[in-house]
Formats: sequence, C-alpha cells, structure tokens
Amino acid sequence: MKYRFTRKQLCIPYVAFLILFVILPLLVICYYAFTNGEGRFTISNLTGFFSSQNTIGTLAYSTLIAITTTGVCLLIAYPVAYILAKSKLKKKSVLLTLFIIPMWINFTLRLVALKEVLTMLEGNLAMYPFLNTIIGMTYDFLPFMILPLYTALMKLDDSLLEAAYDLGASKSTVFLKVILPLSTPGIISGITMVFLPAMTNYVILDMMYNSTYIMGSLIGSYFNAYDWNSGSMIAIVLLAIIFVITWASNGFQEEKSNRGALL
Amino acid sequence: MQMIYNLKRKKILRFLILLVVTLLLFSALPGAFKVKAREKDETIVLKISNWEEYIDKGDLGEEPTDIGLGIISSKNGLISDFEDWYYETYGKQVVVEYSTFGTNEDLYSQLILGDTFDLVCPSEYMIMKLINENMLQPLSADFFDKSSEYNYYAKGVSPYIKEVFNSHEINGEKWGAYAAGYMWGSIGIVYNPKKVNEEDASTWSILTNPKYARQVTIKDSARESYFPTLAILNKELLLSDAFKNTADYRSKLYALMNDTNPETIRRAEDLLQKIRKNAYSFETDSGKSDMVTGKVVANFQWSGDAVYSMDQAEEDGLYLNYSVPNECSNSWFDGWVMLKSGIDGNVEKQLAAQAFINFISRPDNAIRNMNYIGYTSAIAGGDSDLIFDYVNYCYGAESGETDTIEYPLGYFFNGDNDDEKYTLIALKSQAKRQLFAQYPTKDVIDRSSVMGYFSEEANEQLNQMWVNVRCFNFDQVTKETWVKVVVVCLGIALVITLFANRQSIFRKPKKKGYFREE
Repeated sequence: MKYRFTRKQLCIPYVAFLILFVILPLLVICYYAFTNGEGRFTISNLTGFFSSQNTIGTLAYSTLIAITTTGVCLLIAYPVAYILAKSKLKKKSVLLTLFIIPMWINFTLRLVALKEVLTMLEGNLAMYPFLNTIIGMTYDFLPFMILPLYTALMKLDDSLLEAAYDLGASKSTVFLKVILPLSTPGIISGITMVFLPAMTNYVILDMMYNSTYIMGSLIGSYFNAYDWNSGSMIAIVLLAIIFVITWASNGFQEEKSNRGALL
Repeated sequence: MQMIYNLKRKKILRFLILLVVTLLLFSALPGAFKVKAREKDETIVLKISNWEEYIDKGDLGEEPTDIGLGIISSKNGLISDFEDWYYETYGKQVVVEYSTFGTNEDLYSQLILGDTFDLVCPSEYMIMKLINENMLQPLSADFFDKSSEYNYYAKGVSPYIKEVFNSHEINGEKWGAYAAGYMWGSIGIVYNPKKVNEEDASTWSILTNPKYARQVTIKDSARESYFPTLAILNKELLLSDAFKNTADYRSKLYALMNDTNPETIRRAEDLLQKIRKNAYSFETDSGKSDMVTGKVVANFQWSGDAVYSMDQAEEDGLYLNYSVPNECSNSWFDGWVMLKSGIDGNVEKQLAAQAFINFISRPDNAIRNMNYIGYTSAIAGGDSDLIFDYVNYCYGAESGETDTIEYPLGYFFNGDNDDEKYTLIALKSQAKRQLFAQYPTKDVIDRSSVMGYFSEEANEQLNQMWVNVRCFNFDQVTKETWVKVVVVCLGIALVITLFANRQSIFRKPKKKGYFREE
C-alpha cells in the first residue's frame, strides 16, 4: 500500500508560501502605515496622504497616465485580437506568437531599443515626456491586453452572429449589441492587467526621461529618505484603490452573467 | 489490514526519522570540523563592504595583464592577493568576506538593520555621520608609524588628502583619526566642445541656459543636485574677487556650500524647478551613455565617470571635454573606516583590517585599482615615484610632440606645487580632458569645498524639497491648460451622449398614418 498525501498535507507548501510572502509583508506594511517613527499608533500618515498637494497631484498624474495607456492599449488591441480570433488564416498561432514574442525579451532591453527609435523619430526625447511615457507603456503592456481579448473573442460562438444577421441587424448593431457585450470579461481582465501596473511602473518613466514622479517613484523616494511610514501608507492606499477597482469590475461581470441567465 | 497499515506506517515513520537524523548529522559535521579547524589555525574572518566595481577584481582577462610599467594585474584580484600576502607577511590565515553596496544610504540602512562589517568604504559625509553616531573604531597609533615597512598608507598618502582629512572635524574629532582615504575626485561638467563653447561650460548656469534647453543632464539625487543649485544662487558672490581674497575664504566657502537654511532651501527649490524644465533628464547612470551617443551635449558628472565617458567617446571618434565651473566644485572623498560593531575589540581583526588598507595603498596595488576603476587614488606613493610615473605613462607627452604644456601636480605628490620633479609635460588638450578630470589643477582644488553631513532636520527639508520638485502639482497647471482639459472633457461627454441617443435625435420622426408610395 502506498502512502498517500492527504489534501491537507498537500496544502502545506502553499499555505507556508502565502503566510511568508503575502500575509506577513502585508502586515508589516500595515504596521508601518499606521505608526509613526517611534512606533506609536497614528493616522497622521493617512491624513498626510490626502492633505498633501504632492501625493494628490501624483495620484492624479498616475491615474491620467494609467487611463491613457489603458485606452490606447484597448484601441489597438481590440481590432488586433478580433482579427486574430476571427481570421480564417491557417497559421493563426504564428500571428499570435508574433505579438507575444516581445514579451520574451526583458522589458528594459526593449525600452532601450525603443528609446533609440524614438530619438530617431523625434530628435530630442525630453521634449515629449508624456507622449513617450504613453508610447513606452503601451509598448510594454499591449500583450497583456491582447491575450485576454483574444481568448474572449475565440470563445464567441459564430452562430450567435449569424442569428443576429438573420434577424436583420446591421454590422454596427451586431458589434455593439452582440460582440462587444460578449467580450466584456476579456475587456475587463485586460483593463485590470494594464491599468494597475501602469499606475506604478516608474522604471518606464525613468527610462523615457519623464522626470515627474508617479506613485511607484513617490514610494521609492520616501523609502530612500528612511520615511518607511509615509511610503507604506501610499502603498496601502494604492492597494485599497486596486481592491476597489477589482471588486467593482467583478461585480460588473456578475451582473452581466446574471442578466444573461435570466434571458 | 488495519494492523498491516499501521505497521507500514510505523516503518515509514522510523525510516523518515532516521533519514532526517542522518541528514542533520551530515550537515552539522563539516561545520563542527570547520569550527575546530578555525580554532586551531586561528583564521581571521574579515568582513569588508565596498562600492560596486570599486576594487581590482582581476577579471580583466584570462591571463595576468600588464597594465604598464611592468605592473601586473593578477588573475585572482586584489582581495585574494591580500589573503596570500597576509599569510606570507604575518603568518596568519585571513579570509575576506567581501560584499558591496549601491549608495551610502544603503550601507547605512544595512548597518542600522544589524549587518556587521569590519571595514567599509563610505563617502566623506557618511563617515562624518558614523563618527557622529560613535559607530567607528579609531585607527590605531601604529597605523601611522612611518618607520614600519608595511605601513604603506602612512608613508604613501598624498599630503593634500592628509591635509583634508586632518582639517575637517565633526564634534572635535578629525576624519583622519578614523578614516584612511581611498579614492577622491571632483564634480564638473562633461561637454561636447563642438556643440558647447568653453565659456558656457565653465559655469553651473549651463543647467539653466536656454541655449541648451533639454540637452543637459543633472543627477537624480537631492544632495548631488543641491550643490550646483547653491552655486548658481550664489554665483555673483562666488565669482567676486573680494570674496575670493578674504582671509578665511575656505571656511566661508564651506559655510556657503553647506547652507541648509530653510529660506535657502526654498530658493533652491524654485531654481530646481527651472533646472528641471531645462534639463534632458535626472539620471544616475544613463548620462554617460547619452553623452557618448550624442543625445545630450553637457552632463553634470563625477570626475571618475567623466574619465569613463571620455574614454568611451574616444573609441567612437568623439572627443569630449571636462570642465570644473569657475564658481566652485564639490570635492568628494571615499575612505576606509572600521566599525566598532564588527571589530568588537578583537585586536587581531583590527590588525588585519589595517593591513588590508595598507595592502591596497601599496603603490602598485593603488595603480591596479586606478586602472580598473578609473577614479583617482588618494595615494601619492611617498618615497616611491611609481604613481607619478604611471600618470606620466598615461598622460605624458611623447618626446617630439610640440603642442605641450607644463602641468604641475606637486600639490598632490609632495605638497609643493612648484616642484619641477612633479610637473608633468602633457599634451595641451589633456588639460581639458582625462588628465584634468583625474588630477585637477591646484586652482580647482582651491575653489573646491566638501559637502558635509547635514542634520536630520535639514535632510528632511532637502528630501521634501526634492519631492516637491519632482511631483506633479496642480498649481503648476496654467489656466490655459485647465480650459483645454475642460473643453476636451466636455467634447468627449457630448460625443458619447449624442451617440447614445442617436436614435431619438437624428432619426426622422415617422409620419403618422398610411401613405401610398408614389
């Protein structure tokens, strides 16, 4: 008779991982966020976050960058994913791979190359920091938008489209009333995968010579000045924002599926 | 069945326990042996932490490399050479545990978080902070005994470095009592002489000069950028002859360049905003390559990195120059200090640590380091002329070359700048290039000031200033931009509402009743 691992035993490595690398760090961040330099409880970090011009300005700037990046990614990725999913090409997978290949190369390397290309096109990179940041971010995050959209559109049943055409819908109506609603889960997971990193990925800003801080760089600057408390508070607020967004988008998805079930 | 199962389980358990015990034994045994061996040989473990890429690691090539004057960079690197040398000289085994740090602040947090090192190599202001916090072990008296054969540091250190280390104090304690100089240099501007004229590059105001808009870089650090900002703020005073000729010019300069008055910081913040609008980037490392590839024309740089940039550009046929602005420059020093927490009263360890300083201060080893790192060693060589010969070997003019100048370096080598013996005959161009970056002239030294360690409060204000400069602020947005933003938002909202209600707005209302088609 063989010795079998019970389900509980199999869970041990996973639980240990969770505790060590997810829960403990979070607790440490929470501890720092709600204490002052002497280790006493305080909420001044929280009030400091919302009363400081700098953090609010940075939050607005990061959000602007994240929204623009997500918008541009969506605009580029949707047609690409649709064409990839619906084309009758035999070598579809080759096409998809072409879009994913850049992901196999380290992103800082890709940015160095992009910098040279943009310098050739624009002359002086430092003249257009915002534009360059958006280009850099889009370049990096595009595959994360294409993939979920592609999977969502692949699953789309062609007979639904045929039915819509049969019932007299025009092309635009079919897209707006059938294709778009059915691909919302893909859109939402694409947005969450692009929006959140775009808010904090300051390496791209640094490399594209955008000297304005976003949330990630602001946390870094506080940590460099040994102000662990304010830095942790920014991290906590970001976490809260991320949590709210994810929760809202999940709610949105559920609502959709319920309606589908009712119909 | 149940019994068999239990039996098997017991067997497995026993087997597992045995396995664990054997494993533990095996892993513990070598350790036990090691401890015994250590006690027997009294091996000294020396923990050293240094900047990254800041010592000859001997990986220049497969074979030992001759770097000129018959000095051989061995394959093993200086650390391994030190271990051998120590055994041969003192008959004791020493093992160096070598690690690196990225910034002074990183090193300090490591120390605060409980890492122990015996010997570290921070910059002057961090040395001051560590002295102030009573964390350093003073160098022993026999370290400075010049009669001992192996005291290469005491015998070889440059009189200029010695003067700096003994004239600067914190809390009445001289740096020199705790720290031995390693590398030193200035800050200045690397520029492309074809794009920037020399006059423009000879002032810190180049950072705000609209002629070079978005073509100059500045350092991405509050401390590093604060210095040139202060120089621009006090430009007129710094350049005036009256100020330069005051009796206590040096101490006044020091006070001026270490001014952390809140009002001064506020003015610096406004100026940094201007610099930011004029600069290509805030960089720590990318400036070198951007300079070489021609993305920028001028680059605020440390002297050692300036040498690196010039060397790299030369390989592409581009000749860059280095200038130290006329207002003033920041002279910086990295030095070896011993930590109380690591040495912990262990005399053997302290001797080994001091022997390490002496070993890397031996002229041939100092040259190996200079060749590897590109910065300037604090060692002048003392009785040995090896280092001056090396400078001559690198930068001296070949016989027969006509466009040469006399380049006096006596201030560094023996304290007498008029000494013919230490006057280099160099190509004229070198007075603006690598030689000048590596060994600045006496007048640059005279207008250089150290940037000391700031109080906690001042540091906080500086960091706040830096965050204010770097963050997006709604106050910066002009009215025009606000109008544009509002118009764009309204436009988008309009398009969406129109699109959503297109049926009711654009479709013609159906006429009531029945009409026959005509």
